[in-house]
Amino acid sequence: MNIKQFLSLEWKQFRRSSFFEKGLVIKILMLLAALYFASIAILAGVGVFFIFKKTLPEEDPFKMINNFLIYWVIGDLALRYFLQQLPVLNIKPMLILPIKRNAVIRFLLLKTSFSFFNILPLLFFIPLAIVIIVQGYSPFMVVLWFLSILSISFSINFLNFILNKNNPIFYGVIAFLALISGMQYFGIFDISQYLGVVFYSFYSLGYTLIIPVFLVILLFKANYRMLKKNFYVDGAVQGKKESFSNYNLEFLNKFGKLSIFLKNDIKMITRNARPKQVLLMSFFFLFYGLIFYTQDTYRDLPIVLAFASIFVTGGFLISFGQLVPSWDSEYYKLMMSQNISYKKYLESKWYLMALACAASFVLSAPYIYFGWDIFAMIAAGASFNIGLNSFITLYGGALNRVPIELNQKAKAFSNTQGFNPTQLLMSLPKLLGPMLIFYIPYKLINFNAGIIALALSGVLGLVFKSYFLNLIEKVYQKTKYKTISAFSEKK
Amino acid sequence: METIIHVQDLSKSYNADKILDIESLDIPKGQSFGLVGNNGAGKTTFFSLLLDLIPPTTGQIESKGIIVNQSEEWKPFTSSFIDESFLIGYLTAEEYFYFIGDLRNTSKAEVDELLSEFEDFFHGEILNQKKYLRDLSKGNQKKAGIVAALIGQPEIVILDEPFANLDPTTQIRLKRIIKDLSSQNHVTVLISSHDLMHVTDVCERIVVLDKGQVVKDMKTSEATLKELELYFER
Repeated sequence: MNIKQFLSLEWKQFRRSSFFEKGLVIKILMLLAALYFASIAILAGVGVFFIFKKTLPEEDPFKMINNFLIYWVIGDLALRYFLQQLPVLNIKPMLILPIKRNAVIRFLLLKTSFSFFNILPLLFFIPLAIVIIVQGYSPFMVVLWFLSILSISFSINFLNFILNKNNPIFYGVIAFLALISGMQYFGIFDISQYLGVVFYSFYSLGYTLIIPVFLVILLFKANYRMLKKNFYVDGAVQGKKESFSNYNLEFLNKFGKLSIFLKNDIKMITRNARPKQVLLMSFFFLFYGLIFYTQDTYRDLPIVLAFASIFVTGGFLISFGQLVPSWDSEYYKLMMSQNISYKKYLESKWYLMALACAASFVLSAPYIYFGWDIFAMIAAGASFNIGLNSFITLYGGALNRVPIELNQKAKAFSNTQGFNPTQLLMSLPKLLGPMLIFYIPYKLINFNAGIIALALSGVLGLVFKSYFLNLIEKVYQKTKYKTISAFSEKK
Repeated sequence: METIIHVQDLSKSYNADKILDIESLDIPKGQSFGLVGNNGAGKTTFFSLLLDLIPPTTGQIESKGIIVNQSEEWKPFTSSFIDESFLIGYLTAEEYFYFIGDLRNTSKAEVDELLSEFEDFFHGEILNQKKYLRDLSKGNQKKAGIVAALIGQPEIVILDEPFANLDPTTQIRLKRIIKDLSSQNHVTVLISSHDLMHVTDVCERIVVLDKGQVVKDMKTSEATLKELELYFER
């Protein structure tokens, strides 16, 4: 087996991936999204120099950029940790073929270099390097600096895989990061200054390029050794086996028949990688308001604040709800042949979403800091979420027929699960609905009227709960066979 | 014996391919019914139709007088294990059994009582394992699925390829269980199998499917195994 054969396999995997089997509309949308991110990266790369130049005219912009690079390193690492996985599982069939292990491992590791996560920084740093050269910095030294940055990017790539597989090192790195950011925060020791000097030295001295290059080689070797040692069906190639965890969920019994599903869903969320990811994401949504409430520009644009308030409490509701019933896709045939009433099933999902929404609302209490009007808006948003958004989301989910592999983390961009034109259409009322419900009374009467209207819309939704659930149930029954067959397709 | 499953003019086609075509088939209550046939003969298709997992192209199946693709009333007295997609991978075996018990209105104590009868069958590898079902071996997953299908006193039990992946000891125990189900509890058991010996051992009646058609329908006797072997040697 030579490199050509590996590449042809890769090409087939890429060509035949679910991405290309999607409809044309989705392809175009995905392409637009990719172009969007790419152009943002390029624009940022071109613009960042001038931004620094303008805001801090007396400093050397390039030096300032270097001071901030540490944040890129940490952010990039965090992003990769959650989204990028070492694709070891693909190689199981190769283990028994007459190919040298070394060749497979080397290929596997080199392959990761071409991932989306390595290309995005390039799109940022290449324009930046060009701008810097044009601005009169020494071209040769800039090239050295660029090569150093490139090496660091690859180091992050390889470090991430080690972090994913090795808990002691993972906790070590976390502790180290916590320590330095703590010291930075309390002003004890400003590490970014010192690291800025190091980053700048790639340009000013040049020969320090040796450090990141050495780091890449070291991390590559470490990965190589780690994989080689574990390159067995019961080693790295095997998916992670989690240890059993149990907790008492008897308190849910008061929900009667619903508790069967509630208990099951809680186990589903806590014991599988994908829903855990969703849980984490929805936690981040709690901070969504910070982007808007802190900016004065938005303070005078309450309609934007209404939009933000929906997301503060609705993160879980939206990201979990749009994939109902896909969460149960792995055992959907069981659910469909068992003694289950759709309505109870849906109702339990609704309760889960409502409970999560209520919990997010409690956690959002610190927003009181930005004023009671903001908090009232969040409360109204929560009411809308529980009373209306939940049903809209469940309805959209019912039209969604993409199976989910519960214990596989979602991969960035290769994962288009739960993304289809209907879903997109369904997201319009989710986003525009609350804005309109708020905006019309706000314009006609005043701010408080807007909030009351938004809160009331949720209450109204609750009154019609049974009607809505029946409506969604009908969709379930109508599309039952289609859903079963879609869920049993091999991925 | 009263008929519990009544198949009438049933067919299933994908595009122009007719993959199942049964004019008429009656299964009496309490019978142990075996379905054999090569790959693609239509065994799993028939079971899927019986469980309303796919819609029939023509005709219908009546289960205790209920047309399965029109009403869901057959669900309370029917249970099945077709493949691993009937298991909930992130539960332990006990949690899974209790979950099914909850769905079938069977209390924890009743489930425990039923499970105690299967201690032999489990061979100490299913219960109290602190392991999720997805981490069990294929054979042990199958055992859990089969036993789960017996929870809640079903009147019809459908098992697709129950003997595959099981070790010899378990196969023998499973045969005992199936025989008891139909002879003592009058449960109608439908199984499919590639193993002619097991299926003739266990089933009172054997139907051979070929390309979706019923080609043989026989009461099991001494000569059945020989006859089946001759048929499949062609």
